Amino acid sequence: MSVFDIKSGDDGTVHLSGRLDAAQAGKAMDVLGRIERSAKVDFSNLQYISSAGIGVILGTYKRLLDAGHSFRIVNVPPRIATVFRYAGLASILGIEEGPSPTERP
Amino acid sequence: MEKRFPREITALDEIFEFVSEFVAAGDLAAPEAFPLDLVVEELFTNFVRHNTGTSREIAIRLERHDDRVVVALTDFGVRGFDPTQAPIVDTNAPLEERQPGGLGIHFVRQIAESISYDHADGNTTITVTKRLES
Repeated sequence: MSVFDIKSGDDGTVHLSGRLDAAQAGKAMDVLGRIERSAKVDFSNLQYISSAGIGVILGTYKRLLDAGHSFRIVNVPPRIATVFRYAGLASILGIEEGPSPTERP
Repeated sequence: MEKRFPREITALDEIFEFVSEFVAAGDLAAPEAFPLDLVVEELFTNFVRHNTGTSREIAIRLERHDDRVVVALTDFGVRGFDPTQAPIVDTNAPLEERQPGGLGIHFVRQIAESISYDHADGNTTITVTKRLES
């Protein structure tokens, strides 16, 4: 089972990897909640997301947009993109799809 | 397959391992694990958050019947709370009106072919049937 991780790269891009479930949503919020400028979050190595993770992403997106910043969600694997579509958020958040990660969930 | 798990969010890793074992034992295609994980997590966390009057374990049962999978979660010694009656999420609402609440059951509805709720003798069982994708 892939452990969830979240790291900020040198260019300011936030990289998510592993499985963002209800047990890991707090860890994601700890990092995303500190962002106070326009940001990009890279989903290329994210293998799973549930409503708890979607909630963290939605909350961050709304907070940054309200503050006049942007929040790009890029390289979203197809399975993850499907969950955003279930929520009716794929278009609203402008998610940018990418290929599947090499390791299955 | 059936197993009981402590009613803690931290049990999710153990639950996902259980789903993974079921997918392997049932000769299901690997991508089937994702929607099953999502259904099980959303129902399990719903029980943990809403049925707070008990410390008993939650049972998860997974069965394959031809081209369908049955997922059943049972919470013991709880009041009747039917998450399947949660309001429909308006996925066309604009961003400013969107809230994360209710999305979990909405996801289960999207994935499931059928969902049933039963409350008897103080136990609540949610049963989901899902058609296999491949």
